[in-house]
Amino acid sequence: MDPVAWLLGLGSLLVFGVIVVHLLAALVLIIPTWRICTRAGFSGALSLFHLVPLIGPFIVMGVLAFSDWPSGEAPSGKR
Amino acid sequence: MGVEILGLLGLSSVFGLIGLVLAGWMAWRIVEKAGLPGWAGLGAILLTLTGIGTIVPLILLWVFAFMRWPRDEMVGAAPGASSPASPAALPPPPAALADRRAWRLSGLSAGGPVALSMDGTQPTYVLTGAAAQQANELSVPDPTVGQPHARLFVSGGRLGLEDLGTPGGTRIDGARLLPEHGPRDISAARVIHVGTVELALSRP
Repeated sequence: MDPVAWLLGLGSLLVFGVIVVHLLAALVLIIPTWRICTRAGFSGALSLFHLVPLIGPFIVMGVLAFSDWPSGEAPSGKR
Repeated sequence: MGVEILGLLGLSSVFGLIGLVLAGWMAWRIVEKAGLPGWAGLGAILLTLTGIGTIVPLILLWVFAFMRWPRDEMVGAAPGASSPASPAALPPPPAALADRRAWRLSGLSAGGPVALSMDGTQPTYVLTGAAAQQANELSVPDPTVGQPHARLFVSGGRLGLEDLGTPGGTRIDGARLLPEHGPRDISAARVIHVGTVELALSRP
């Protein structure tokens, strides 16, 4: 077998595997984050930022942490 | 070569540390907004530094998403509680006042200018080609207008129209209205045709 074709095939398989693992890992984060976002009053679709590698989770957390929750927050005195 | 690798590792460590501090700070704020102590969020993030890695913070994320938040109890608490009320705990704003402006239909028929007013004193009005004999009859003197031709409904701030099946026909903004369509909301319509008479709908 042509070694170049073999390497290309192996590389494609590896890329595919990485994408699948990334999607599964993102899904494990997206499900609870979707619920947190909807409970906070945001669109659940905000949790899809978890699909963005590296900075995605920071974007979701940043929105949840630094913006006012439309459905209300615990009063400051009770924190 | 070794220096470059060490530098790269050092840079990665710096970015990792910044990310960790940022994530811990944000987790603290998020958990606080839900009514839980902030250190719980920070602790969950710091757990990633330990040997148990990401599994426990991941489990805590799921627990946090589906647990009962103290914020929900505060929001549901009766007004007048000692703690300051959150925006969601405030009573809803009063409902908007009903729009009582009259509807106007104006145009030109074979019998002359037509100016009809529906001020809502009657729940229904009847459009007819004959002379109006009752309080709820609106006359459009024209041979193409049936006797009666159509029925108008005034409800709240909305106006409905129902064709009564006359040969002249009824159109709403050019679209044919048939008797089987029943009453249609024409509040947003601009022009009504009864027979060949064009009536402009307005609300001064």
